[in-house]
Amino acid sequence: MNLTQQIINGLVLGHAYALVAIGWTLLLGVARLVNFGHGQMYMVGAFVTWWAVAQAGVSYVLAVPIAMGVGAVFGLVMQRVMLKATFEKNLVSIMIMTLGFGYVMHGAAALVFGSTGQILETSLSLHEVNMGDLWFTGQDAAIVIAAIALFVALKWVLDGTRIGRLVRMVAEDPKLAQLAGVNVRRVYYGVFAFEGATVAFAAGMVAPRTPILTSMGFEEVIMTFVVVVFGGIGSVKGSYFAGVALGLFTALFGALVSPAYTTAAAFLVLIALLVLRPGGLTSGAAGAH
Amino acid sequence: MSTQVEAMAGPVLQVQGLQVAYAGNRALDLAALKVGRGEVVGVVGANGAGKSTLVNALAGWSRGDPRVSGEVTLDGTRIDSWVPHERIRAGLALVPEGRLVFGRMSVEENLSTAFVPPAGPGRRVYSREEIYDLFPRLKERCQHLGSQLSGGERQMLGIGRALMMGPQLLLLDEPSIGLAPMLVAQVLGTMRTLAGQGLSILLVEQNVRAAIEVVDRLVLLERGRVVLEGPAAQMGNDPRIAQAYLGAHA
Repeated sequence: MNLTQQIINGLVLGHAYALVAIGWTLLLGVARLVNFGHGQMYMVGAFVTWWAVAQAGVSYVLAVPIAMGVGAVFGLVMQRVMLKATFEKNLVSIMIMTLGFGYVMHGAAALVFGSTGQILETSLSLHEVNMGDLWFTGQDAAIVIAAIALFVALKWVLDGTRIGRLVRMVAEDPKLAQLAGVNVRRVYYGVFAFEGATVAFAAGMVAPRTPILTSMGFEEVIMTFVVVVFGGIGSVKGSYFAGVALGLFTALFGALVSPAYTTAAAFLVLIALLVLRPGGLTSGAAGAH
Repeated sequence: MSTQVEAMAGPVLQVQGLQVAYAGNRALDLAALKVGRGEVVGVVGANGAGKSTLVNALAGWSRGDPRVSGEVTLDGTRIDSWVPHERIRAGLALVPEGRLVFGRMSVEENLSTAFVPPAGPGRRVYSREEIYDLFPRLKERCQHLGSQLSGGERQMLGIGRALMMGPQLLLLDEPSIGLAPMLVAQVLGTMRTLAGQGLSILLVEQNVRAAIEVVDRLVLLERGRVVLEGPAAQMGNDPRIAQAYLGAHA
């Protein structure tokens, strides 16, 4: 076994986890909401990208923004339907509704795209980089770069811009934000659109690594949940490091112990962490930061 | 222009038939209330008299889930069907009781607005520097987090943020609660300064003795209804006020 190669695999996988989770991080941090349709939104993002490239003949560079647009619209529609429950912070209803949206998306995607697996090929995924025994694809490098860029950008927007300040106001106290003149509803819509767009972006970046199926999504939503909780709910920095840590853990555990028990082992670590540090890796106040 | 002059001449706030109920229990039943331009009106009453309910209902805002009906007119415009942030942007600012600053943001960040307030007749938009002039204490603590401030500093910060939104009418809910007497005098004294600069203020206070020093007019609420209303000078001599709140024995 080549340890360096496993670390590279882990880093790529970890940045993929982080990228898929970034929208949920903000969603949980700002609106205190969960979206169990997240995995199916990932699936739809992957299929829209695939459809645009393979069926409509659009270039990959254009296909990803198209998928992001579709993802944002899905996010907005979901939020419109759940608006009342959002304001009432009715988590149980929201859990069930988002789970339901996931199944609807799954069914609709199977109708539209069929149930056979597809391969999303990009010029980057076909480009291999070999350095001695080490190996990765151009797509792998793009995932790492895109994840870092997106996390840095999100952190900067949250901390340093007017929009970020409004989002943090709503995250801390939506009622008080109203009195500061913030249109809280619009912020909720924006956060859902962001989640939809970023998970579609992640799908467009990550899905070329594996065959895509309309039945996928469960793995993604579970891993996202782990990353977000592990990182400290709502913490942007925490989610990034949690994603990378989970990726490294998965790659190394898979190589050194057994790939069959990786998820079980990851959850054991998560449970232990939640007992020892209930606030996650970056424990402190919850909320977008 | 003439309509503007007319609007300027009328009261800044006019309320008619305002009723509020929580889960079927009536908390407020207000026949009518007016606040004139540059006027400071105090609302006093015992716990549970409906004082907070009143100012929250004017802003269309609550941490609870009340049912509100009635007419609220701000500067000649009916606003009772508007959502809170629209009322705030129209110039009706509320400094609530309790959690009134963003604890995870610095003083400086708290003193920034979510929108560009329109300055205009009767709407003075205060800059951050003017707020620091008004409350020098905030300037000293500008890099501190909201959660690190004392009760008095939070009051100042809440008032400061409200002033930066260019209010025509400032609603203050128990600004003196939990403050040392010196600070009560300072915070309430600032109200006179602000009114002198043209701001209209509706001040909810339990501390009648302090309120009577700064308000032009006093409204006494009991069980959600106005039981007494008049100029502050006369009200101080009214035996009902004196007996109930100034601790005098008749």
